[in-house]
Amino acid sequence: MNATFATLFAAVASAAVTVAAEAAPVPAPVPATNAQGSAIVVQDQASLRAAPRDGAQQQASLWQGEVLEVRGERLDYLQVWDHKRERGGFIRASDVRRVALTEAEGPALLAVTRFVQDTPGAEALGIGLTAAYLQAAPAKALAGVEGAQAFDALGTFADRLARRASVAVPGKASGAALSAHLDVANGYGVRFATYEVEGRMQVCYEGEAFRRLLAMPVADAEQRARAVLALTRPECINPDLPAHERAKVTTWQAEVLERVDVAGLPGYLRNRVQMRRASVWGAAAFQQARRNAADPAVAAAAARALTEFTGVSKAELPDEDQSAYNDAAMRVSAVRWALVPAAAPVATAAGARPTLLTEPGAPGETCVLLVDAQHSAKAPLLRRCTYGVVWTASASTNREGTALALAVQPMEGWRELWVLRKTEGGWLADVLPPAAATPETGVAEWAGWVPGGQQMLVAREARGQGRYRKSFEVVRLEGLTTERVTGDVAALPLFQRWQDPAWKRQTLSLR
Amino acid sequence: MKATWNRIVQTLKGRRSTPLSEAGTEPVLDAESQSPVAADARGADAPRLNWAYLLPTARTVRWLTAGTVVAAAGLMVYRNPPVQHLAQGDLGVRLNQFTGAVSLWRDGSVWVVPGLHTVRVFSLRDQSYRPEAMRQATGSAPLQSVEGLSLGLDLSVRYALDPNSPAVKAGNLPDNVGVDIVEPAVQGLVYKVFARYTVREIFSSKRAEISQIIETELRARLAADGVTLRSLQIGKVDLPAEYRRGMDSLLAEELASEKMRYTLELKDKRVRETELDANADKVRREVAAEAAAREQVIAAKAQEEAMKHVLPFKQRQIEQRQLEAEAERVARVKAAEGNAQARRIEANGEADARQKLAEAEAYRMDRVGKVNAEQMAREGALVTKHPLLIQKTLADKLSDKIQVIIAPPPTNGDFIGAALLGGNRNAQAGAAQAAAVAEDAATTQAVEQ
Repeated sequence: MNATFATLFAAVASAAVTVAAEAAPVPAPVPATNAQGSAIVVQDQASLRAAPRDGAQQQASLWQGEVLEVRGERLDYLQVWDHKRERGGFIRASDVRRVALTEAEGPALLAVTRFVQDTPGAEALGIGLTAAYLQAAPAKALAGVEGAQAFDALGTFADRLARRASVAVPGKASGAALSAHLDVANGYGVRFATYEVEGRMQVCYEGEAFRRLLAMPVADAEQRARAVLALTRPECINPDLPAHERAKVTTWQAEVLERVDVAGLPGYLRNRVQMRRASVWGAAAFQQARRNAADPAVAAAAARALTEFTGVSKAELPDEDQSAYNDAAMRVSAVRWALVPAAAPVATAAGARPTLLTEPGAPGETCVLLVDAQHSAKAPLLRRCTYGVVWTASASTNREGTALALAVQPMEGWRELWVLRKTEGGWLADVLPPAAATPETGVAEWAGWVPGGQQMLVAREARGQGRYRKSFEVVRLEGLTTERVTGDVAALPLFQRWQDPAWKRQTLSLR
Repeated sequence: MKATWNRIVQTLKGRRSTPLSEAGTEPVLDAESQSPVAADARGADAPRLNWAYLLPTARTVRWLTAGTVVAAAGLMVYRNPPVQHLAQGDLGVRLNQFTGAVSLWRDGSVWVVPGLHTVRVFSLRDQSYRPEAMRQATGSAPLQSVEGLSLGLDLSVRYALDPNSPAVKAGNLPDNVGVDIVEPAVQGLVYKVFARYTVREIFSSKRAEISQIIETELRARLAADGVTLRSLQIGKVDLPAEYRRGMDSLLAEELASEKMRYTLELKDKRVRETELDANADKVRREVAAEAAAREQVIAAKAQEEAMKHVLPFKQRQIEQRQLEAEAERVARVKAAEGNAQARRIEANGEADARQKLAEAEAYRMDRVGKVNAEQMAREGALVTKHPLLIQKTLADKLSDKIQVIIAPPPTNGDFIGAALLGGNRNAQAGAAQAAAVAEDAATTQAVEQ
């Protein structure tokens, strides 16, 4: 009996010991890597050395924003491993900022990011810090206001870096730093596109962070405005895009620009958004007009462009936006005749003065016919075809009936002035381009006839080869030579006296 | 009817031979019932009755006879009415037994004089014939196929008499048209036709054809006999059991093959559909690409045009600048020429002026020289006359602070102040005096110039 009891007791005891042993806490396994967190390089050209001494051999030169894995500390140095170069070494502790990538560290990282956001030259560092924050922050925070701030900061850094890389920088050192910073940004998955514009490489941020930001409902108006301005940068449209692809991009840009509510924005930012909208809608109007000029969508787009442009407050226009303002004005001005409905061709018997008719020529071509009471469309006084958009509403004949001005737009943002004039040998058509340079952006406008049938008034405004020029000219009809030219309309008495009231009312060149 | 009449006549003849009492007792009974049972019953009852009491008188017998005759006549007319009624759809063929004339009667009544006319009534309504013997493959008279296999056929023949056919009009139709005309015709044709086809053809592929042949031939045959074939329907074909199984499997195979064919056709159509879709898509894309390319070409042409317009303008501008430069050059040359001329004139003027000045100077110098010479001559005369004037003049020129004391010069030619300074200074004084005179002369010369 006793033996049985003892056996039973022993069995129970051994079972209890087994259970207790299993229930005892097992020491957590030490993470093999990343035990000491990471470090972000904060200085350009920080040295990664072979030993924790200043005099030790330099393994590599690191740039701000690069991330290193910390594996230990020695003296005032951190022992780190650079995954990008697959090389270990020591770096001075003051050259890096250690980050643990934990949830608790998120706000601190965001605060540093905010500080760096407005610091020029620290884009690569900012991208590194934002990436660290995006990794550290929980999904909930990323979906909220903080996430919006982080994406805004990331996009701002990338965009600014792209702009820095696009402008010509003198000096070899800055070029090396720029390419190193671009390389660091690429390492974080920030992508850039490069286009050749006017013989120079234009670097553009591809806009992933801004797209994410626009999709977030918590993003505020300013963040959205910055995002859409960066996404719709005109110089970042691939210049080699075919026409139909370009039209798609324009439509997309117009849609994206609609996502910003300009009401709550500061004045200068609202101006920028509105100028961009004006440019984009102007381009959209031209692209639609090229398909069908009589489409009501053309007038709607042009009206929208004009509305946005007139909404720009000149009082709140900083100097750096002046160029964008001029560009927007020229682009809107180029399509402004879309707002005026094309008058039906007047019966030729009504007067001796010649009138214009248009008819389609080859595919995509519009032919302008000059007819009068004696010459019908079958035997016109003059016939000239163009692949541009003919704004028939702009046709204006001088008092003597010897000259006629017509606006023709061959390219987006480039409007020419056609002058049809009567000579002894018959009618001739001459074209007055906005500037004698490679066509980019510009407008040549008829501003009035000088009585006598010898001169006309022309307002021209153009940007070409990096130069902006606006002039008011008295042009001789014979040979279209400029007699007088001035940048200020008040300086030309002839211009003051004979300028057309309708032109003065509608033009944007007197803004 | 004729038989009935004969029977009555015979009956009446028989009665006359029997005793009147018997005949007068129950004439009607006798006429109507001739069953042996009744005769037996009468025969059995006769010995028990004493008919003598009941015997009628002669008058009664006459009356009875007359009544019987009338009744018999009435009965005969009733039984053999002289008018035959034809129902709707009946055809009455009346034969005049004396003349042999046949007349056809439809719907209504026809006079039939007993003994003169005989009427045969045929139905013109549709009738059908379904041969039972050939319905089952195992039946009494199944059909035989070309292979010699027995098979049953559910055949249904619908026919009707044609009142307009000569056979009917002639009145020589058999009493039972169905049995005597249709059945032999059908059987004689069907067996023959089916014997030309295989079971499979009969069962599946040639059924319609067979039906058509039978119908055509049967129609012709029956028409000759005054029968119109309305329709012929071949229903179920009953195959021998084993054959049926084989046939079923064969048909199933065929069906499967057919199904496969349709499946293949479907797949083929799907392939074609995909191809067409792809083609449509290709065409759509090609059209879109073409449109895009055209748009691109138009845009490029527009750009080229704009570029082209810039060039003449530039050319014009350059020409204008050249003209301006030329004008500027001409203007500058003119100006330079003017300048040069002006300068030449100025230089001439200057030269003239200088000459005049030089002349004037020369004249002046001449005059001054002359005046100086005269002056010197006068002064020389004066100095010669008063030699102390030289010292005085010297002293005056040295300073205005110096007071001059005119003293006579030492006679020995010493310095003028030697008398004041003491002796032995005459030589020095003389030298000083000579220097003063020379200086004075130099001073005078300078003034003159």
